[in-house]
Amino acid sequence: MLNAPEASPNGRRVISAIVIVVALVLQVSVANRLPLPGGVTPDLVLLSVVALALVSGSLTGCVAGFCAGLAADIVPPSDHTIGRYALVYCIIGYVCGVAAAEMDRQSMVPFFAVAAGALLGTVAYAAIGMLLGDPRASWTIVARVVPLQVLYDVVASPFVVWCVLRATRRYDRPERRDRFSVPAARYRAMSGRTRL
Amino acid sequence: MNDTRRSRMVLAALLVVALAMITIDYRGGDDSPLRGLRGVGEAVFGPVERASASVVRPVGNAVDAITNAPAERRRADRLQRENQRLRDQLRGTQVDQGKSAQLDRLLGAAGLGGYKIVAANVISVGQGLEDTVTIDAGSGSGIRTDMTVMSADGLVGRVTRVGPATATVLLATDVNSTVGARLEDSKEIGIVQGRGRRGLGGGGRTPLRFQLLDANAPMRVGQRLVTLGSQGERPYVPGVPVGMVERIDAPAGGLTRTAYVQPFVHFTSLDVVAVVVAPPKSDPRDAVLPPSPTPSAPPSPASPSPSASPHKGKGKKEPSATSPSPSH
Repeated sequence: MLNAPEASPNGRRVISAIVIVVALVLQVSVANRLPLPGGVTPDLVLLSVVALALVSGSLTGCVAGFCAGLAADIVPPSDHTIGRYALVYCIIGYVCGVAAAEMDRQSMVPFFAVAAGALLGTVAYAAIGMLLGDPRASWTIVARVVPLQVLYDVVASPFVVWCVLRATRRYDRPERRDRFSVPAARYRAMSGRTRL
Repeated sequence: MNDTRRSRMVLAALLVVALAMITIDYRGGDDSPLRGLRGVGEAVFGPVERASASVVRPVGNAVDAITNAPAERRRADRLQRENQRLRDQLRGTQVDQGKSAQLDRLLGAAGLGGYKIVAANVISVGQGLEDTVTIDAGSGSGIRTDMTVMSADGLVGRVTRVGPATATVLLATDVNSTVGARLEDSKEIGIVQGRGRRGLGGGGRTPLRFQLLDANAPMRVGQRLVTLGSQGERPYVPGVPVGMVERIDAPAGGLTRTAYVQPFVHFTSLDVVAVVVAPPKSDPRDAVLPPSPTPSAPPSPASPSPSASPHKGKGKKEPSATSPSPSH
């Protein structure tokens, strides 16, 4: 869509899949073990879904979100109802993709998108848990988790978004390593923010 | 426009699929057909996690070793200035020593209780709200579901799912975890429940809640808990230390009294754990509990002086440790 249309869709899919798998493995084996205050850890999978959606639009966003969520549902230590993350990340990917198409000129978009995505994702995941009567999603726990989760996600977002942009850009434009080689205004805006 | 319509269609289809999966999995419970997917996940991601853990662990351990002890950090900084390679070697040996010491203590605890164990490393930690970990030992090592998992310090949790080379452990701090427990040197039994991932449910230092079944039974701050043992020794074998009573809630008209328990295990920094593959022949009672008094005596109103409690604890511990036979 907004990216180079001549890039082969297969390559893009492969890159997206690699991004998701790497994010997932890093999530369970590194990020979740970090002894961060509050006991909450940044959700790298959510962040990479948001980043992929920002770069590639709503279609890729919701497919990537669904696949990432399904993988997060079945990756070994998981112990919740299968499909919960698939549903949540699918919605997040779609919404972020649409949002990116609507307002890509403003440089703060990635951060608002990440914050909104983190908020929406955590709340939606907890809400589904409540609907299903999951005792882990009790009100006291969710009320503590959501603000911290959003904070950590926003803090971690520049790194993840930057990594995803690097990965996707490297594939799309193998011949041009110029750092201002598009995804146009969006990339410039994001990299401008991430350097702050 | 065409593209938005297409992506909307795809979104709708995927949402329907996700909702269908949630429904099927939720209705099916433990027998749901989608549990096969977890098996696939275990087979696919298990080896990946093992590999990534073997890459990540030395780094993480080194970071741990530094952050845990400021002295170590200063030393590492000094060495960093001196020689990069020397520092790496030093960290490597420290990690190995720490690991072997952990294993030694683990074997000591297992020997004390007469448990037969398989040692394993934690390789990944669950996401979201659940408090689960993956360990790098699976059915190939003789691990089955509903086996007790302990560390050198005490109870960790139980095995909920087993893959070929990995297994998933539900930690005792998870909200869904319920463990039968017994107060040390008394027969008063109760239920230990988790309070949520890393004490998120307002836990803090006390991520476990203990409910004494007999509301009139004596219970005091500083008393320690061991597992009661389940029927057939699964999922929980008897005698594994759980934690220490930190605070007791005044009975607010309830039929049971609630105590908040500080576990012996540090759930945020789990590394070497052991799966009990064969239960002890006889209930070890309080034999596996660590030497009685720990520094957290001050808040206890029941133990007047810190020097009084060790004798009391030891005096009561010895007879039960030497005569474990009448239990079964």
